[in-house]
Amino acid sequence: MEPGDPTKQARAATQLRKGVLEYCVLALMRDRPRYGVELLHALEDSGALATSQGTVYPLLSRLRRDDLVTTTWQESASGPPRRYYALTESGRAALDEFTRVWPGFRDAVDTFLTAPPSPSPSPSPSPSTGDLA
Amino acid sequence: MKTSADPVRDYLSAVEREASALPADRRQELLADLAEHIEVTRAERPGVATGEILAELGDPRTIAATALSEAGGETAMTEGGAAAPARRGKVHPLVPLLMLTLSLPFTMVFSIGPDAAFDPGPVFGVLFRLIGAVLLCTSVHWTAVQKTTGVLLTVVVPTVLFVTWNLISGWAAPETQALLGSLGALTLITGTSVWLWRTRRV
Repeated sequence: MEPGDPTKQARAATQLRKGVLEYCVLALMRDRPRYGVELLHALEDSGALATSQGTVYPLLSRLRRDDLVTTTWQESASGPPRRYYALTESGRAALDEFTRVWPGFRDAVDTFLTAPPSPSPSPSPSPSTGDLA
Repeated sequence: MKTSADPVRDYLSAVEREASALPADRRQELLADLAEHIEVTRAERPGVATGEILAELGDPRTIAATALSEAGGETAMTEGGAAAPARRGKVHPLVPLLMLTLSLPFTMVFSIGPDAAFDPGPVFGVLFRLIGAVLLCTSVHWTAVQKTTGVLLTVVVPTVLFVTWNLISGWAAPETQALLGSLGALTLITGTSVWLWRTRRV
């Protein structure tokens, strides 16, 4: 496997994004309601989470149907009214749950990725643990 | 392949075509979201070419595919969630409009005349009109301006007209005049409801 293959990197990023994108979107609404274009800019600025903009709208639509967010229309001083997305109680609960689970998940992945190619130091009944590395 | 002068329209119809497997309401919602995005971006970055805005939105096929997978994965997503909370403001937009429109015919149908000790007609009418107005105001389908106009034209104006009319005529207007007045009010309410239905946000 060539380490620098851009197609493979893109695929890995896409897979990762699928799982975490909705929680990042929820997190963006934690402090205040946001409108669609605003959310997309924030995602874009993050770099790693930047995605084809249009694909975020189906996600927002599902969050709304699942009652994780609510929307309200607000007039704007410039241009058309914007649809603002805000967390519901269950949305906040889902975000809190993810926030709680994420550090352990991240650390576990880090452990696998950085483990030296030797048997893990933890006591294990199976002698084949080294195969993981 | 025909090309029109409106790239936004072309883009949206491409999304519509690619998303034809989506349920109609989801498809309309997606198109409305994308149209809003384009409108807002144009207002915020007036110097940017429309083509660039559309390019940033991405390939219509990718967007449609995402929408389809979101629609498919729904049950898996909700099973982990808590029981669905009350859907405030998500009443179908037809409900308030029908209640407002039907309040007047109901008044007429159930009315047994002002001489009766208890006349259920106006009570039904007022009840329908009140509930209709509340549902209209709490709905997510209209802007504040539309809601105010709607309540004014379907509730306030007809009610004021009726009350003044009744006060002037001393509750004893000739049948034909009363009927004409009611028909006028009905036209106003129906017209406003049709307008609200057409301008609702999906």
